[in-house]
Amino acid sequence: MPETNGAPKIGVYVCHCGVNIAAKVNVSEVVEFAQKLPFVTVAREYKFMCSDPGQELIQQDLREGKVNRVVVASCSPLMHEATFRRATAEGGQNPFFFQMANIREHVSWVTEDERDATEKAKALIAAAVRRVAVHQPLERKRVPVHPHVLVVGAGIAGIEAALKIADAGKKVYLVEREPTIGGHMAKFDKTFPTLDCAACILTPKMTQVRAHPNIELLTYSEVESVEPYDLRNFKVRIRRKARYVNEDTCTGCGLCADVCPVTVPSEFDEGLGTRKAIYRPFPQAVPNVFTISRRGTPPCQAACSIHQNAQGYITLIAQGKFKEALEVILRDNPLPSICGRICTHPCTLNCTRATVDEPLNIPGLKRFVTDLFPDYKLPQPKANRSERIAIVGSGPAGLMCAYELRQRGYWPTIYEAQPVPGGMLALGIPAFRLPRDVITKEINRLKEIGIEIKTNTPLGKAITLEQLRKHYAAVFIGIGAHVERKLKIPGEDLPNVWGGIEFLRRVNLEGPFKLGEKVLVIGGGNSAIDAARTALRCGAKEVTIVYRRTRAEMPADPKEIAAAEEEGVTMIFLAAPKTILGSKETGVTGLECLRMKLGAPDASGRPAPEPIPGSEFVLSCDAIIATIGQVPDIASLGEQLGIETTKWGTFKVDGVTLETNVPGVFAGGDCVTGPDVVVNAMYAGKKAAISIDRYLNKLDMRAGRELEGPYRTEYAIDTSGTPVQKQIPMPAIELGRRRTFDEVHTGYTQELAIAEAKRCLDCAICCDCRLCSTVCEPKAINYEMKDKIEEIVVGAIILATGFKTFDPRRAPYTGYGRYDNVLTALEFERMVNSAGPTGGKILLKNGKEPKSIGIIHCVGSRDKRFNPYCSRVCCMYSLKFAHLVKERTKAEVYNFYIDLRAFGKGYEEFYNRVLSEGARLIRGNIGEVTDVALSPEEEGKLIIRVEDTLAGVVRRIPVDMVILATGLEPQADAEEVRRKFSISCSKEGWFLERHPKLAPVSTFTDGVFIAGTCQGPKDIPDAVAQAGAAAAEALALIDRGFVELEPNTAFIQEELCSGCKTCIPLCPFNAISFTSEKGIAVINEALCKGCGTCVAACPSGAAQQHLFTDEQIYEEIEGVLSYV
Amino acid sequence: MNSTVKEYTYYPGCSVRTTAKHYEESLLRVFDALGLKLYELEDWNCCGATLCSSVSRLTSYALSARNLSRAERQGRDLVAPCSACYLALNKTKDYLAHDEEVRQKVGRALAAVGLKYTGGVRVRHPLEVIITDVGLEEIKKRVKRPLEGFKVASYYGCQTTRPYKEFDDPFYPETLDKLMAALGAEVVDWSLKTRCCGGSVTGLVEEVGLRLNYILLNEAHKRGANVIATTCPLCQFNLDCYQSKIIKRYDLGFSVPVVFFTQLLGLALGMSEKELGFARVMVPMQPLLRSLIGGEPIRA
Repeated sequence: MPETNGAPKIGVYVCHCGVNIAAKVNVSEVVEFAQKLPFVTVAREYKFMCSDPGQELIQQDLREGKVNRVVVASCSPLMHEATFRRATAEGGQNPFFFQMANIREHVSWVTEDERDATEKAKALIAAAVRRVAVHQPLERKRVPVHPHVLVVGAGIAGIEAALKIADAGKKVYLVEREPTIGGHMAKFDKTFPTLDCAACILTPKMTQVRAHPNIELLTYSEVESVEPYDLRNFKVRIRRKARYVNEDTCTGCGLCADVCPVTVPSEFDEGLGTRKAIYRPFPQAVPNVFTISRRGTPPCQAACSIHQNAQGYITLIAQGKFKEALEVILRDNPLPSICGRICTHPCTLNCTRATVDEPLNIPGLKRFVTDLFPDYKLPQPKANRSERIAIVGSGPAGLMCAYELRQRGYWPTIYEAQPVPGGMLALGIPAFRLPRDVITKEINRLKEIGIEIKTNTPLGKAITLEQLRKHYAAVFIGIGAHVERKLKIPGEDLPNVWGGIEFLRRVNLEGPFKLGEKVLVIGGGNSAIDAARTALRCGAKEVTIVYRRTRAEMPADPKEIAAAEEEGVTMIFLAAPKTILGSKETGVTGLECLRMKLGAPDASGRPAPEPIPGSEFVLSCDAIIATIGQVPDIASLGEQLGIETTKWGTFKVDGVTLETNVPGVFAGGDCVTGPDVVVNAMYAGKKAAISIDRYLNKLDMRAGRELEGPYRTEYAIDTSGTPVQKQIPMPAIELGRRRTFDEVHTGYTQELAIAEAKRCLDCAICCDCRLCSTVCEPKAINYEMKDKIEEIVVGAIILATGFKTFDPRRAPYTGYGRYDNVLTALEFERMVNSAGPTGGKILLKNGKEPKSIGIIHCVGSRDKRFNPYCSRVCCMYSLKFAHLVKERTKAEVYNFYIDLRAFGKGYEEFYNRVLSEGARLIRGNIGEVTDVALSPEEEGKLIIRVEDTLAGVVRRIPVDMVILATGLEPQADAEEVRRKFSISCSKEGWFLERHPKLAPVSTFTDGVFIAGTCQGPKDIPDAVAQAGAAAAEALALIDRGFVELEPNTAFIQEELCSGCKTCIPLCPFNAISFTSEKGIAVINEALCKGCGTCVAACPSGAAQQHLFTDEQIYEEIEGVLSYV
Repeated sequence: MNSTVKEYTYYPGCSVRTTAKHYEESLLRVFDALGLKLYELEDWNCCGATLCSSVSRLTSYALSARNLSRAERQGRDLVAPCSACYLALNKTKDYLAHDEEVRQKVGRALAAVGLKYTGGVRVRHPLEVIITDVGLEEIKKRVKRPLEGFKVASYYGCQTTRPYKEFDDPFYPETLDKLMAALGAEVVDWSLKTRCCGGSVTGLVEEVGLRLNYILLNEAHKRGANVIATTCPLCQFNLDCYQSKIIKRYDLGFSVPVVFFTQLLGLALGMSEKELGFARVMVPMQPLLRSLIGGEPIRA
C-alpha cells in the first residue's frame, strides 16, 4: 500500500448551483444523509461551491484538519473538477484526494420528480464517498513544451494568428495547401459593412507574412501526419507538393505564362476567367511565384509504345506554334512523317475525347506538322563515343535502335538484306498510303546525323554474326517477319496465286503490273485491304475481299476498310476458301468457298468461324492474293547464327532487356514478337538501344524500366459539359484519282489542323511542351521536381483551415449549372472585383449589363435538405452585393430572404443604407428559378417564383441575373484533417471547440487550437478575433514552457502479469510493449492516453489505471448499491 | 446485365387497365424483352390514389398496406407503374415506418383480415428498375432502331420523384432523359419535368387544368419537342385527351403527341407500333412515326 494521509476524514460539500440543483434536490436532506456515511467528518451545503467563499469552506476544513479527503456534489467534472482539485491542493492535501459527484447534469437537470432526484443524489454521493476513501496521492508530470508553433491554413485567420505569434518573438510554420496565401478573403471585392476593399486590408498582411523573420511560409504544402514527439509535443510531417518551379529563384516575371499554350479555367476566378497551366493565382499572390499544374502523363502518351508526347504537340498546333510542335514531336520520334501516316495510333484508343464523341486524329496532326516542314532535321547527337554498333535490318525497329544509339553518341551501321532500306515500311506498305519519298527523306535524315546503311547485305549470307561481333561493340537484330503463311488448300501452287506481302513487295520494288481482271483477296487484316487497294491500282476491274468472319471481327482499321469500299472493293463475309480452281494452263479460274457461321469465342476473344457442311459455292476470278499473315521463320537462321529460338520460330530474348543468349547480341521487333505494328517495332528498337547503352557502360540492365512501353494512366477526367464536336475528317484526293499510287489523304490544312487540335481536352493540364523553360531567365523551372516531405517539431498547433461554399448543383431548384446568369456568391464576388475576369463590370453571359438582379438568400443554409444551420455571413454579403449592384449599374435588385440577420456592429445601419439605396427586399423562401415564360414580359428572363410571406401571395419576378447566397460548409476533407490532429467535429463537420462559451478556440486535444471558419461559419471580424485568441492561447502555452499531465495513465502490476500479450495489439496508441527478460508487458507512460482498453482486457487484472483502479471502481459501485 | 432473369411482383393499378392500356401493353413487352419477369400480385386492390387520402388518410394507408402485406409474402420487389400507386405505396411505407399511431391502427386493420406487414417490401418504379437492374449500357446495346429524329421532352409528373426522391432529383430529374438519349433520341432540356398537370382537378375544374396543361404543351413545343414521354397515366391522360380542347381554347397552332416512356423504349428495341399500343394515343403519333422512321407501319 503506497503512502496515504492517514485514516480517511471525508468532507462532503453539496452545491445548490443557485436553483439549478436546489430546485429539484432537497439539499439539506442530502447533507444530513451524507453526514451519516462512513468516514465522513463534515458535510456542508452552499449556494455556489465554485465561488471563492465556497472553495474557502473546503480549504478551511482541510487546513483545520477536520477533513483530509473531499467530495463535492455539484456539476459535471468537465466544468469544475480542476477548480476543486486546486482547492484541495491549496488546502494542503494532494489534489487527487478529491472526488466529484455530478448531481446537476446527471440528476437535477434530467429528473422530473423531486423525490427521485434527492434519492439519486444521495446514491451518487455515497458512491463518491466510498471511492475517495481509497484514493491515493498522485503526482502530475511536468513536460516541456517546444517553443515553435504550426499554423495550418493561411486565410485571414491563419495569417492573423501567425503574425501575432511571430510578433511575440516565436517561430511559426505557416502551412497552406494552395500556391498562395490569402484564402477566400483574397477573392472578395469589398467587405461589409465598412466597404473597405478586401485586397487593401489583406495584401499588406500577406506581404508581412512573407517578410517576417519568424514565419516560415510553406505554401502548396499539406500536413501529412501528426505524431507525438514526446509526452506533449508534436512531430509533424509536411508534404511539400512539387511546384515544378523553384520558389527561391522564380522572380514572378510571368514570361512563362505568356508562352504557355495551355489555358484552363481559373480556380481563383471561380471558373469565370482562365489561367495558364503555369500560373500564379493572382498578381498579388504570396509567395509571388509560379506553379505548374501537372496531373502526370496524359493517356495518349502513356498508351503510345514510344511515349510520344501527343498532348504537347497538339496543344502547340492549336496555338499555331507549329515549329515548336515539331520540336516536341522530334523529342521522342525520329520517324514522325511515317508514323503520322501509317501508325495504328494506340494513343487514340485511350484518348479521353473518345468518351465525349470521337478521339482526336492524333497521327493526322503529327503528319500535318511534318508536312509543313518537309526539310526538317533530326536533333544532332549531344555526345560522341567511339563504339560502333551493328544493326541488322532497316525496318522501324532497326532505324529506331540506330537513332537512339546515335543520340547517345554511338556509331551505328545498319545491314539490310534488300536493295532498299525501310523493311516492311518500304516493302509491305503501298505508296498511296506512304509515299516512297517520305521514307527516303526520313532515312536520309538518319544518315545525316551519322547513321550508315548498307543494303543488299543479308545476315548469314553476305556477312556473318561472328564478323559483326568481332567488329562491333554490340549487335541488334531486327530482321522482321517476312515469310507468308500458306492457305494450305489445293491449288495454292497455281500461277497467279500470290501471297499478300509477295504481291506488295513486287509492286513496291518493281512498280505496278497487271495482275488480272477479277481479283480475290483472302483475309481481313490491314494487309488484305492494302493488297485489295493496290490490286485496283494495278488495273483490276473487280476486287473482292473474302473473309471468314464478319465485318465486326475484321482486324483492319475501320477507316481503311471504308476507304477500300469507297474505291470499289467489295466484301464477302463468312466465307472460307476450300479449293483454288484452275490449271497450270488456264491459271486460276475460281475459288471454291465454304459458308461459315460464328460460334463460341476463340483464344483471340473473337467468335470462331465454323463451316456449314455442304454450303460450298464458287467465286470466279483470275487472280488470288492470300493475306493471312506472316511468320518470322528464322529457326534455321537462328541455328546457323547460334541464337536460341522459340517454338513459334522467333528469336528467344529476355523480356526486359531484349538480350539473346549470345552476349552482346540483342533482338527485337517482328522477328521476336511475330508480325506487329510499326510503333511496337520502334519501341523494341528503343528498348534495345537503352539495353545496349547500359551493357556497354556496365550498368544494371534491368533497374527502373517498369514504365517502358504502353500503360494506362490512373487519373480520370471530368468531361461533363463538353460540347460534342466530332473528329474533323482529313481531306483526300477525289475518287477518280484513286487508280494511281498518289497518296490518298492530302493532310490537314492549317485551319483544319488548328480546329482539330483544339478538340484536345488537356488531360494532363501541363502538356510538357517545355516552352516555359526556354523563356525563364533565372532557370527556375524544373520538370523533374518531386514532392518532398519535411519534418518539424512544434509545441502548439493552430488549425485555421477554413470552409468551402455550398455547391448549388445539389439544389436544382436554383437552376445553377443549367441556366446562364445564375451565379454563386463567390462567382459574383470575382465578377464584381476590379481585378477579376470582367474588370469589375457586372455583365450577363451575352456581355450586356443586367436590368434586374435577384439575390437569393439561404441557399444551402437553414434548409433541412442541406444544412440546418445559418451561415451567418450571407445576409450581410447579399446586402453588400445589392449595394455594389446599385453603385455600378442601373439594375433593379431584389433580395429574397427568410429572416434578415444584421447582428454585428454597424450591420443594421448598413442594412438601412442599402434599403435607402433602393434595393428591394422580399420575405420568402423561393420555390424555384425557372426559364419558363408565362407572359411576354417574362420572355428571355429568369423567373423567380416566391411566396411573398408578408403580402401572402405567390409572386413571379422576372430578372436577368440570379445570385445565390451560397452558405458555408466544412472543407471536403474536414473529417480527414480532424483525424490527423485528433480533434472532434460537430455533426455538420465543423471542428469542435472545448467549450462553446468559455473555451472557444481550444480543443479536447491539448496544444491544438482552432480559429476562423473551420470552427463554424463566421465573418471576417469574428475570424480575426478568434485568430487572436488562438494565438494568445498558443503563446500562453509555449511561453510557460511546460504543461502538467493528468496522471490517469495505466500501469502493469508486474507480479500479476502473465505475459499473455492480450493488451499489446489492443492499445490504440502503441504504448504497450513486451519485455522478454521479465516476460511481462510494459506501458510507456509517455504514450498512454488513459483510455483503459488494456485494463478492461487484462485477464489477470495486472493492468490497472491510476484514478480508475479496480478497487476504486468497486467501491464506487458498492456505494451506489449500498444505498439502493 | 447478367443473363439470369430478374423477378418482380407486379401491381398494375387501375389506370393501366382502363385509360392507360397502352402503358401496360408496352411495359409488359419491354420487361419481357429485357428479361425482367413480372408476377401480378393476386387479389390486389385500389391504391386509393390522391382521392381517398383527402377523405380519410387512415383508410388510404390501410388500402396500400393490404397490397404491401400481400406483396411481402411473395418476397420480391414490388413494381408499380402508375405514379399514383407508386406514391401511395411509398407514402404508406413511410407512415408505417415512422408513425406509431398509423402503424398500430393499420396493423389492427390488417390483422382483422389475417394479414400483417413487417416493412420488408421494396416499392419500385419501372423506370428505376430499367435503369438500375438493366442499365443504360445494356439498353444501348439492345437498341435495334435508334430513335433518330425524335425530340423528346421527358415528363415525370409530380409523383414519381416527389416527395420520395427514391431514385432521382425531385426538381430536375434526369433518369428518363438519360434513357431516352440511350435510345438515340434527342433530349429536349426543359424546366417543367415535374410540374403539375392538374391531376384529377383537370376533370373537376377544367379551366385550371387546361391552363396547367397548356403551359406544359407550350413549353415542350417551344423547346423543340416533337413528342412528350411520360411515366404517369394521369399526366398522359390530361396532356393527351384534353389536347384538342387546349388547342382550341389557347389557339395553339400545333399538337404534340404524348406517350408512355415504355412505348418509345419498345419502339427502339424493335417492337411494332401495334404491339406498343400507339393507336390508343389520342393526338396521333403515326404522322411522326411515318415521317421519322419510314413510310410503312412499323412492324417487329
